[in-house]
Amino acid sequence: MTVTSITPETLTTDYLDPKVCEFYEYNGCFLGMRLNGEEHNRVILTRALPLNDPDNYVCVTDVERKELGIIEHIADFSAEQQSLIRKELSQRYFCPDITSITAIKEKMGHFYFDVKVGDYPMSFTIRDLVKNIRCTEGHVILTDVDGNRFLISDLERIDKKSRRKLEPYLY
Amino acid sequence: MKKPLSFPPFSGPKNQEKFAPALQAELRRAGLDTSGLLWCCSGDMSNEGEFKDMWLCFDAKGLYIAYGKAVVGRAKKKRKKIEATYTIDSISSIPLDDLSCLATERYVSTGRLTADENGKTVSLARFSIGKLPAFDDFAKMFNHYKDTGEIRPPEDHGHGERTCRKCGGPCPPGMDVCPKCTRNSATAVRLVKFFGGYVPQIALILFFMLLSAGVTVFVPQLGTRSLFDNVLANPDGKTAEELLKALAVLVGSIFGIRLLNTLLTVVQQYVTATVMPKVTYDIKVKIFAAMQRLSVNFYSSKQTGSLMERIIQDANQIYWFFIEGIPTLIIESATVIGVVIIMFTMNWRLTLLVTVAVPLIACALYFGDKFFRGMHHNNFLFRSKLSSMVSDNINGQRVIKAFAKEDEEYGRFTELNDNYRRAELKLALAEATLIPSIEISVIILSALILGMGGVYVIQGKMTAGTLLSYIVYLELLREPLQFLSWTANWWSRCADSAQRVFEVCDAEPEITEKEDAVEFDDLRGEIEINELDFEYEPARPVIKKLSLHVKAGQMLGIVGKTGAGKTTIANLIARLYDAKGGCIKIDGIDVRDLKLSELRGNIGLVSQDIYLFIGSIADNIRYAKPDASMDKVIAAAKAAFAHDFIMKLPDAYETRVGAGGQKLSGGERQRISIARTIIQNPKILILDEATAAMDTETERNIQNSLAKLKTGRTTVAIAHRLSTLRDADELAVISDGTITEQGAFRELIEKKGEFYRQYKLQQEALKAVGIADDVTETPLSEDD
Repeated sequence: MTVTSITPETLTTDYLDPKVCEFYEYNGCFLGMRLNGEEHNRVILTRALPLNDPDNYVCVTDVERKELGIIEHIADFSAEQQSLIRKELSQRYFCPDITSITAIKEKMGHFYFDVKVGDYPMSFTIRDLVKNIRCTEGHVILTDVDGNRFLISDLERIDKKSRRKLEPYLY
Repeated sequence: MKKPLSFPPFSGPKNQEKFAPALQAELRRAGLDTSGLLWCCSGDMSNEGEFKDMWLCFDAKGLYIAYGKAVVGRAKKKRKKIEATYTIDSISSIPLDDLSCLATERYVSTGRLTADENGKTVSLARFSIGKLPAFDDFAKMFNHYKDTGEIRPPEDHGHGERTCRKCGGPCPPGMDVCPKCTRNSATAVRLVKFFGGYVPQIALILFFMLLSAGVTVFVPQLGTRSLFDNVLANPDGKTAEELLKALAVLVGSIFGIRLLNTLLTVVQQYVTATVMPKVTYDIKVKIFAAMQRLSVNFYSSKQTGSLMERIIQDANQIYWFFIEGIPTLIIESATVIGVVIIMFTMNWRLTLLVTVAVPLIACALYFGDKFFRGMHHNNFLFRSKLSSMVSDNINGQRVIKAFAKEDEEYGRFTELNDNYRRAELKLALAEATLIPSIEISVIILSALILGMGGVYVIQGKMTAGTLLSYIVYLELLREPLQFLSWTANWWSRCADSAQRVFEVCDAEPEITEKEDAVEFDDLRGEIEINELDFEYEPARPVIKKLSLHVKAGQMLGIVGKTGAGKTTIANLIARLYDAKGGCIKIDGIDVRDLKLSELRGNIGLVSQDIYLFIGSIADNIRYAKPDASMDKVIAAAKAAFAHDFIMKLPDAYETRVGAGGQKLSGGERQRISIARTIIQNPKILILDEATAAMDTETERNIQNSLAKLKTGRTTVAIAHRLSTLRDADELAVISDGTITEQGAFRELIEKKGEFYRQYKLQQEALKAVGIADDVTETPLSEDD
């Protein structure tokens, strides 16, 4: 028996084949998956790179978090399948996208944010900026004292005034 | 077919108060009878994921979901309570009989409440992740009610909503008004209280500074006005001899006054120098003491660099502002007032012009404060990140070298350093722009005064001496004004530092000791764990309804996969964290009712991660009992099989270990930690993977020392290598936070369950690497 040595070149991952894998809606708001004819009525989708590559490498598990497979590229699936996958992902990764910052007030180590998500005004409080403000590849993730996450999906897209208010707290 | 449920009349605790009376009234208006509500919670999203106010509740008949809007108003000063108005758009209900198994699911930033409705999983609600604890409680309470027909007392697991009574926003523990609603002057007032103990010293510094300022203000009257108007201009037609005499008196007086001024300054600086070390020492002690009483969780959520920055830099910033800044501010302000009054007496018209500059400077100060505060904070963030990176780099040097990543690390450092440099540059440029602009206004003012004053002298409305002394006074204003323009900057640095210091001082330790905490009379070491629940984050349970019992003096072995919750159990017994549900009792006393020193003093923890403090080996061994004699230290080291290797070191027991000290192998460090525990002499011993990283021979040696240590003590041993737990009186196999198998070693082997499978796998692995572990001696190995 010949044993192939493990090198980065010989390492491979098996991905879900769109030909044998079909997603369907279950009970109106859940996602199911039929894999090689076997039905899994509730599956959970988890992105491997949720911030920088949200459309590729999506792990599919059952409710017990047992892995059923990995989607390499969502785009490999049909348009209808893609919309089901994206709908589930958008629910799981839903994060209010801040469009403008009205005010940031700082007192006693607490940072009070008044922001707008579209036209909807929201307020939240952040403690420990180093841990709770994460700036990566042009987007910013803010986590408030209750664990709620807020996103600025494109730092360049928010208005200049808002950006100037936020800049002292980014690094 | 489902049997219809019939519940007894409810008499237990409710949480109806979660719904404000105004909301209950609105719900009644919308057709819901709120009188029998058993449990309520509020949400912030629709089932489709749109932000919307939502209320969820259930009574004995059904579960109700209402959507609408709540508008929270700010508190009116007199009533001091927040007011909210509610409108209900829709209410839907589901019969209680149709629903079961409510559960919460945690997503990235949201959560979902699901239920089993007539055998199908349905989504009942969605909510922001911050609402998860409330929804989790709701689900647990609903399920409990369905199972028992009772509402159990709510558990206070620290997730309770704390809201500010003024704005309704989130509020830190121990405060009823959030920091946002506290007065602007609160930081300053707290800082003044911080310096309450130094009032005499500050008053002394202030006294000398005031004297010095008074002298400074008086000098131009004598040195300029009298010199010009009474001597040089010779208005009384005195002889040359008389004029020389007057000049000598004047020069002598000026010299004397200047000398006095210098002496006063020297005394003031001497007092400041004696106060300074004491004050910085006290501030650092206060911050460090506050940090020591905080729980483990606080440290795991902060970067080391940021915490170190707090103790060292922030203490200095606060000191400088209060001991140097405030007295100088008072003196300079007094100088400005004194000089302006004198200037008014000299020429009120010119002085009116001077006073125009004051509001301008006040405006610049106000905006400067706001502007600089953000920039200082930005600088702090970069500096902390740089410190953390350096500490990360130092700790990870072995890995860096092993992967030959020195250049990349250098690149990471230069990038962060460059970011810090740019932030510093930005601040320096801003300071260089704003501060001279205030000075320029003073220069313009001087020019105007000179021009107008010259006209008054020509017109005979003012003497030349008065004009010259007036200009000297104007110059005297320059320094205080310059200082005042810096005050905003200085104060913003101090306030920024103070806020960080107060954050540490105000942080409430999660683990607190009850006022009536008890001590053990005579500790036997019996451990009882009842229906223990624990989660580091809401809805991510790590321990679920776990029950265990260890008799006094017995050994319990805990096995399980990585992440099964084994170490968490050890942490909970030592009360490094508090259980979210259920309890842990030692000799029948809940660990939460015990004095922390009593509890932890009686629990010895030997873990895989050994921390040796900077100091000698002897100091580390006697860490738990610093007064232990040297022969006890040696005896403990011998019992831990550490004595031999210690004696081979050049400085033996005086060898310095810890950061920068003698390098010791994992086994050597472990043996020191065992010796440390032997000296501690705990009644309960927790061995958390104590020998996981050892080679077989070292492990055998350590096992021998551990066997000595275990004798006469209650022992909880957590281990991957199952053969090390053969002496255990009882073994518990933990999987996903619950016990899947329990029994004596042989019982579990004979049961041929999960433990047996793991045992066989390990045996195979040991055989494969040629280690004839003693596991092969068991009769079961013959089956393989």
